[in-house]
Amino acid sequence: MFPPKTARLAIVALLAGALVASACSSASDDGNTLTIYSGRTEDLIDPILDDFEAETGITVVRNYGDSADLALLIDEEGDATPADVFLSQSPGAVGFLDDAERLAPLSGDVLDLVPASVRDDDGFWVGFSGRQRVLVYNTDLVDPSELPSSIFDLADPAWFGRIGVAPSNGSFQDFVTSLRTTNGDDVAQEWLEALAANDAQSYPKNSAIVAAVGRGEVDVGLVNHYYNYRALAEDPDHRGLNHQFDETDPGSVLIVTAASIIEGSDQSEEAEQLIEWLLGDSAQRFFADETFEYPLAPGVEPAADIPPASFAAVGGIDFEDLGGGLEATREMITAAGLEG
Amino acid sequence: MSSTRSGTPNWLVGHAVLVGAVFALPGLFVFFRAAQLGGDLGSTASEVVGPLGRSVLLALSVGATATALGTMLAWLVVRSDLPGRRMWRLLLVLPLVFPSFVGAAAFLTSLAPGGLLHGLIESVGLEPPRRFRGFFPAWMVLTLFTYPYVLLPVAARLRALPSSLEEGARVLGRTRLGAIRSVTLPQLRPAMLAGGLLVFLYTISDFGAVQLLGYDTLTRVIFATRLSNRGVSFLSATLLILLAVAISAWARSAGPDQLRPDERVGRFERPAEPLGSIRLVALGFVSAVALVALVAPVLSLLTWSIRGLADGRVDLGELAVPLLNTAFVGIVTAILAVVVVVPLAVVTIRHRSKVANVSSVAVTGGFAVPGIVIALSLVFWALNTPGFSFIYQTFPLLILAYVIHFGSQALGAAEIAVRAVPDEIRESGRLLTPSRWLRRRQVEFPLMRPGLASGAGLVLLSTVKELPATLLLAPIGFETLSTEIWGAYEDGFYASAGTSSIVLVALSGLLTWALVLRRA
Repeated sequence: MFPPKTARLAIVALLAGALVASACSSASDDGNTLTIYSGRTEDLIDPILDDFEAETGITVVRNYGDSADLALLIDEEGDATPADVFLSQSPGAVGFLDDAERLAPLSGDVLDLVPASVRDDDGFWVGFSGRQRVLVYNTDLVDPSELPSSIFDLADPAWFGRIGVAPSNGSFQDFVTSLRTTNGDDVAQEWLEALAANDAQSYPKNSAIVAAVGRGEVDVGLVNHYYNYRALAEDPDHRGLNHQFDETDPGSVLIVTAASIIEGSDQSEEAEQLIEWLLGDSAQRFFADETFEYPLAPGVEPAADIPPASFAAVGGIDFEDLGGGLEATREMITAAGLEG
Repeated sequence: MSSTRSGTPNWLVGHAVLVGAVFALPGLFVFFRAAQLGGDLGSTASEVVGPLGRSVLLALSVGATATALGTMLAWLVVRSDLPGRRMWRLLLVLPLVFPSFVGAAAFLTSLAPGGLLHGLIESVGLEPPRRFRGFFPAWMVLTLFTYPYVLLPVAARLRALPSSLEEGARVLGRTRLGAIRSVTLPQLRPAMLAGGLLVFLYTISDFGAVQLLGYDTLTRVIFATRLSNRGVSFLSATLLILLAVAISAWARSAGPDQLRPDERVGRFERPAEPLGSIRLVALGFVSAVALVALVAPVLSLLTWSIRGLADGRVDLGELAVPLLNTAFVGIVTAILAVVVVVPLAVVTIRHRSKVANVSSVAVTGGFAVPGIVIALSLVFWALNTPGFSFIYQTFPLLILAYVIHFGSQALGAAEIAVRAVPDEIRESGRLLTPSRWLRRRQVEFPLMRPGLASGAGLVLLSTVKELPATLLLAPIGFETLSTEIWGAYEDGFYASAGTSSIVLVALSGLLTWALVLRRA
């Protein structure tokens, strides 16, 4: 090992280097700067934002984090928030900010870029990409012929101990909220209880379920379609495959990732420009081809190896129409005993 | 500076009050929000009673086993003639550095077909478990990732103990084990208790590992309700904090001799205890711990990583800036945390101040508050305290969050360090030189160094892997290795997450060796 003096010098150099590096990485605010808080991680959006900067000359400052945590942060920051735009992985987090009256209404021009089913009825957010709810299954443990055509088939004792779910995760909660809209609270509650009675295993999130199915820890899992494509890209030997429920089944709903503008932003014009960019051709193609998602702007097709989504099955979730909204959904999941 | 022989200097009391107040900020925020949101106590209680019980059960179990394991390993690497002690001292600390969710995921990968543990279990003719979930798996994995909280302070304490005590007992006819039990263990108790307390607090605040291992605890309620039912979320966080405060207060009062300076210690050269016939057994035991807690998860991470490095998806060069940033925040936080808590330890132990005891409980409790709660509370205080909003989204606020979160790890070690300076030595020091600073530098500091270094080491290792506060409080665009790991892992980019994790383990090893072990 090296002598003490060298070690000390190395540490001083390290600290100096870090100071310089952190000084360089802090962005300057020259007035033409847009700050976004993004629940989509860097790998899933950075190239789009770089293109936007090159095209418009607007600098985009990016704060990445978990969608729910960022929504809480924006709420806690209140009027002092530097955020102009919030991008969420799921409708729940934008719905929370909408309820807290932290969002500014979007203009009709922006809203009209997507079908009415994938935007907020009151015009506070738009979906810009979609992830379909599917059943991921382990190819060694499940015979494709026994795969169910509906989520309600998962209540069958044949699936006892074989299902993975993510009850505390936003996308599962949003899916249950959607189920309440389409089939009513009683049906939703009964289905949740049947899942719990079938000893469904609970995981923290979609990616954990896909990994567990790949390892053979559970046979099948209720997830967003995206994660298994990612797992296959990481490891060609991954043993999971996606199975779509019938297109009319409430289980195959499309969960949208959503864009919104923060109330009080003094850059709302640039913010709208950014959201239009997300719904433009090149960004939508990126979501289709690079991140295995469903583009939402009409006229852009999903990538060739992604099965087409039936837009009839797509539902924008209207939290206000549901009694108790997300809170009631969460309480139903807990009451069913799915989390323990 | 007004000071009398028996009185406590005013600045020390003032410091203790200030530290206590600052460390109480997250708790006060949680109480305030819980009262403001007015969650329904009755329905919350019925919802959290099960998870709360499981949190306590798991934390007590992990605390007990991690304390036993950490103490045993500390004795072996400090006191015995175990082969390769210097290497083990470093390797056995490193399991602490896995971010909880990554460590647990890598461990599960190792148990799955193709993983190291899976192969090992099969090679001895057993059937690897298909599903590794629930209480026992959570207990085992958390024990393996948290015993270093005990190992570091106990090892520091052992280094400061004269072996003459054990020898004396053996001259008087005790067996070696008997001597350890009756002489050494009582001397180690404060360090074991301090380390065990950290393990307990870590376990009740953990979310990533317990969720992945399918064991439902109180943190799940806090997380699952944070958007949809904030009243329940903050009431649950209140419960967690009260639990942490109660257990910290209990631990502080547990040993009556714990807070007094030690009269029997000093620094002595001593020969290693020969293990004799059990030397190979001990080596096998230490190797097995390192294999399961460090090698197995690291191999899983390498498997993820190599796939990405092989086809060029992952670029090591991109990690240079996050690496420097991580080292920077780790070192600054470690030094600052020690500097902040040492005066508190001095006033607690030498002056037995009641105020300092209350402040110490606030410092200790900070470790059990989930990082996201600490982050949101500092957002709240920075933006709502008149004149302080300039600090928001700056580097100092991030460091403050780390110090509040991890100060407890430096405090336990600092108390051990202060205890390592017996009153007699301080008194005889007075005869040598009238200069207080010279005495501190030449007499007291060398005795305190092993304890302080172990505390700084724990803070360092915790800071470099911290995530929620880093994501929310760092100046925008400030990337560390843990933000890189999270960003990649969150959306399933395992190659990239694995590579960043390996770099984090390597960096931690280097820093621990250079800054902690070499100095201890």
